[in-house]
Order: sequence, then structure tokens, then C-alpha cells
Amino acid sequence: MARVLVVDDAAFMRKVVSDALASGGHEVVGEAGNGTEAVQRYQELSPELVTLDITMPEKDGLEALGEIISFDPSARVLMCSALGQESKVIESIQKGAKDFVVKPFQPAQLLEAVGKALA
Amino acid sequence: MSQDITPREALIRLGASTAEAVAQVLEMFAPGGVQRGEVTVIADGTSPFASVARGSIASSVSYTDGVTGANIFVLTPTGARSLAGAMGAPAPDEPGPELSDLEMSAIDEAANQTMGAAAAAIGVVLGQAIEISTPDTRVLDDPASAADVYGTAPHAISTTFVIAGESCRLIQLVPAAFVVRVARAIDDRSAEQNGAGASIGGSTAGDDTPGADASPTTMALEEALGAISLRVWAELGRAHLPLGSALGLPVGAVLDLDRSAEAPVDLYVNGVRFARGQLLVTDDGEWAVSLEALESEGLRLLDQARAAQPEARADVEAESESLDLPPDHPIQGETSSPEPEETSPPESETPDVLQSAVEGAVK
Repeated sequence: MARVLVVDDAAFMRKVVSDALASGGHEVVGEAGNGTEAVQRYQELSPELVTLDITMPEKDGLEALGEIISFDPSARVLMCSALGQESKVIESIQKGAKDFVVKPFQPAQLLEAVGKALA
Repeated sequence: MSQDITPREALIRLGASTAEAVAQVLEMFAPGGVQRGEVTVIADGTSPFASVARGSIASSVSYTDGVTGANIFVLTPTGARSLAGAMGAPAPDEPGPELSDLEMSAIDEAANQTMGAAAAAIGVVLGQAIEISTPDTRVLDDPASAADVYGTAPHAISTTFVIAGESCRLIQLVPAAFVVRVARAIDDRSAEQNGAGASIGGSTAGDDTPGADASPTTMALEEALGAISLRVWAELGRAHLPLGSALGLPVGAVLDLDRSAEAPVDLYVNGVRFARGQLLVTDDGEWAVSLEALESEGLRLLDQARAAQPEARADVEAESESLDLPPDHPIQGETSSPEPEETSPPESETPDVLQSAVEGAVK
């Protein structure tokens, strides 16, 4: 089971993701609502996994991913994308994200992707 | 070949394509509980918010790259609560008329996900990735002043939905340029399907007939070109492949495009194909395109746009002037290396319509 940082600008989605992770036995150690907060929280908490939304205000998920990977090249990041963001998903994988899950998703789908990212 | 599709038809198809994508996502939130109504083009001079009730919940998402335009979901408070509940947002312990922060956030996310899907659907039609903004969800206390919040556009579409027994609607504010893009994309697809060859968006002989210039589509194109900053790019060819295959492409993989090495490349200005030419490498090692065939209609409109905007920004002027170049004059791209792997794809790249292109401005 992993210590996870959940990043999404929508409080509702942070709850959905956190609840799903908790149901899989993972510990949500922190949340962030934009890319800037995500980088800060990652540096503070050193989580084993980050779930990272792509479209966010201030600093989007791709920028945050780049900074997290620069800070910690071994970071495990799972992108949470909406439909229609395939090009950004490809870019995020190229930047070092471990996997992605497309919203809306079922808890089981998220947990499966988390398992792959942690493997 | 003349354009076969009218702006109204383009709007209807845009609305239908958007509605289908939106409904598919809503169906995931409320399985079996989503019905899609008709797409209506709002008449000129009519506010698309005219019949919106005070206190409605409105969640807006804009297209930010690829095309522009605004999409506003309008729900009753009861409908918004039903949708939020269907998505898994818990109802407040003591439900009041106002939605909780978590319920509002769920509506925010519904708009994000549905419009993400809609952007993908439209991107397939246009052959270009469409980016969306983060959503904005609010209570419309004064629908009459909605234009102050969302702005206005020459065209508007309204599509009704029923979600979990409650009616809602999607209002799309559509700029003229967007309509032109959709119309041209549909025409191009029709031409391809009919084996009509690669005419340039219906701007060849057929449009030279008297009165053709006064068509709404042509007027919209003139309006669009006159107001926008220009970006020129060359398209080498295209390939279609599933996202899974794209993700699995290893370094060194070779992707076959649909055009021979000797074939001319297409030159685009903000999505409008205006010329064809041969790809060259200059002595400085930069890509360049030698124009072979100009699309007279596109250039005429671009000239008009420039003439109509003497006070335009310098960068627009500089790029517009480049379009006066005669055939065989090389247009140089921004990429500095002739190595194929260094060639930057356009921002419009999508995984299922990969375009190898050199994007740039005339130097």
C-alpha cells in the first residue's frame, strides 16, 4: 500500500480519488488543487505516488509533472485525464508519467492503474 | 468545387457532434438516465439565455486552443443536485436551496469531462487537437446579464438534455471562424469520400460565380481572417492510428504518411489551406517551402483582411506580407534542422491524426 498525493483542481474529484484509494488500502497523505501546490506538496511529503490531473489553473498537470520529475527522477506519477486529452497524455508519458487513467473512471480502474504505476 | 454546407448546417452538425459526446459522458454518470433533445440554432438577435430562469446553475468551459468558443451548461438547482448525486457527491445533511461546495464542484467536473469529450469529437472533425479551459460554475442570479459573464458570439446553439428526470441545456457560443472551420472540414471530408480530389476547401472555380462572394460562409471567412493573428504551417502528410499504437511507438519507429516524398506539401494559414509547394532545405540548414500553386480565393481574402486592418499589430502585418509572395518564393519555417526527428509537429497534433509539419513564419 502506498502513500499518495492527490492533485486535482476539483474538490469533488479529489474526494472521488481519495475514497477510491482508501478503498484499496492506500493512504492519502496530501491533496493539492493546482500544479504549483502539487510541486510544493511533493517536496514536503515525498509521496510514493502522485495522481495528477492535467487541466488545472495556474500551473497545469504537465508543467507540474515536469517539475516533479526534475526534482525526483524516480517519482511515480499517474495522470488523470479527461477524454480528449490524448495528446497531453502522450506528452505526459514522454515526460515520465508511469501511466494514466481517463475520467470518468470506476474505483477499480483507478486502483488497477495505481497498481501498475507502483509495480 | 463550391462549398456544399451552409453555416446553419455546420452549426447543426457542430451541435449534434457536441451533444453526442456530452451525452456519452453523462450516461456514465447516470446510466440509462440521459435523454438528448434537439439541437437548435438560436436566431440572430435572440439572447441564448432569454429563457434561462433566475437562480439556474451555469457551468462554462471555453475552447482555448485550436478553436475558440464558449460552452455553458445550464441546469436547474434540482437538476444540478441530481447530477451531482449521480456522480457520487453526497447530499448535504440538511439540503437547502443552495448546492453545497462539493455539489458545485461535481457540476464543475461534469462540465470538464463532458466538454473534454466534446472537444475530442470536434477535434476529430477538424483534424486538430482542441484544448479546453478549466470550468467556471456559478449561480446565474441575473440571466439577462449573462452576456457580461460569457460574452457574445455571432452564432449560438442550444441543445436540451434530460438527466435523471431533470431538464438541462447546453448553450454553445460559436465564433464565425469556428463555423467556417467546421464547414470546410465537413466539405473536405465529403470531397474525400466522394473521390473529388484535393480541392482547397471549396475555393476554386465554383466560387468565382457571381454572388459567391456574398455567401454567408464567405463573409464569415472574411470576418474571421480579418480579425485573427496569422500562423503559417506546412503539412507533409497524415497518418491515422489508435492512441494505444501511438503510445507504443518506440524510438526509431517509422510512421508512414499518406503522401509520397515528391508530392507537394500543403501550406495552411490558421487552418485555411491556401497554397501548395515543395519542401526545401536552405543553405542555412532550415526548412523552406517553394510555392507552386496559390489558392487565389484564400489569398484574396487574406489581402482584404490586411487592407482592412492598417493598424494591425506588427506581427500580423509581418506575417500577412509574407502571403504576397509569388509562386516559387521560398517560405522558411522556424525549425532549424533538416533532421526529420527534429521537425516539430503542429500544436494541433492529435493521436489519431498525426500531422508531420513545419510551422513557422516568413523570415
